[in-house]
Amino acid sequence: MEVKVLFFGVLAEVSGTSVKHYRDVKSINDLKLRINDDFPEIVHYNFRISINSEITDNNLLLKSGDEVAFLPPFAGG
Amino acid sequence: MEVNYLTEGPVSQKLISRLIEKTGLKTDSGGHMIFLGQVRADEIKGKKVKAIEYSAYKELVNAEAEKIKKTILSEFSEVKSISIIHSTGIVKAGEISLLVFVSAGHRHQAMQACSKTVELIKENLPVWKKEIFEDDSHIWK
Repeated sequence: MEVKVLFFGVLAEVSGTSVKHYRDVKSINDLKLRINDDFPEIVHYNFRISINSEITDNNLLLKSGDEVAFLPPFAGG
Repeated sequence: MEVNYLTEGPVSQKLISRLIEKTGLKTDSGGHMIFLGQVRADEIKGKKVKAIEYSAYKELVNAEAEKIKKTILSEFSEVKSISIIHSTGIVKAGEISLLVFVSAGHRHQAMQACSKTVELIKENLPVWKKEIFEDDSHIWK
């Protein structure tokens, strides 16, 4: 299985990319661990997560094709 | 029909004028309230902001903007229509980056609903801004 991960705002700068694909991640927590390994600096930033354009605070299970986004605090206007 | 809440670059005077021109068609409204958010040339640690680069998560912007409109319409019974347009990309100091246009039966609800819409946008719209200084360095807000 593969999920698509989007990074926005400062997190796109920290990770050096706005999109990355991850294979064999079972849950949000699983994915966070993988991302912390790839981009250790990310622990210094606050963010929320959305799955398929729905913001969630839960450690949901992931399925193939899911789009997970890492969202720093919003700053529109 | 999918509404487009984002525009590339500044919110143009033309777009603002077009919305104002349309007010004549809204004969059920007694008041229109327009909020225009503008990029400020802030000075931070001796450096002046020349522009803001906005980025947004389009799909989530659409979902959240729809939710905001629903909230406002359920809270303010006299509101007839709400337009929201936010910039993406580069917007220079002095240019407009956000437009909120609310039409309502009477002035009080138009003003209150417009103010609340702006607050909900600040809180819930997945938009990010990078302030760019005159020396091309930047900070994230």
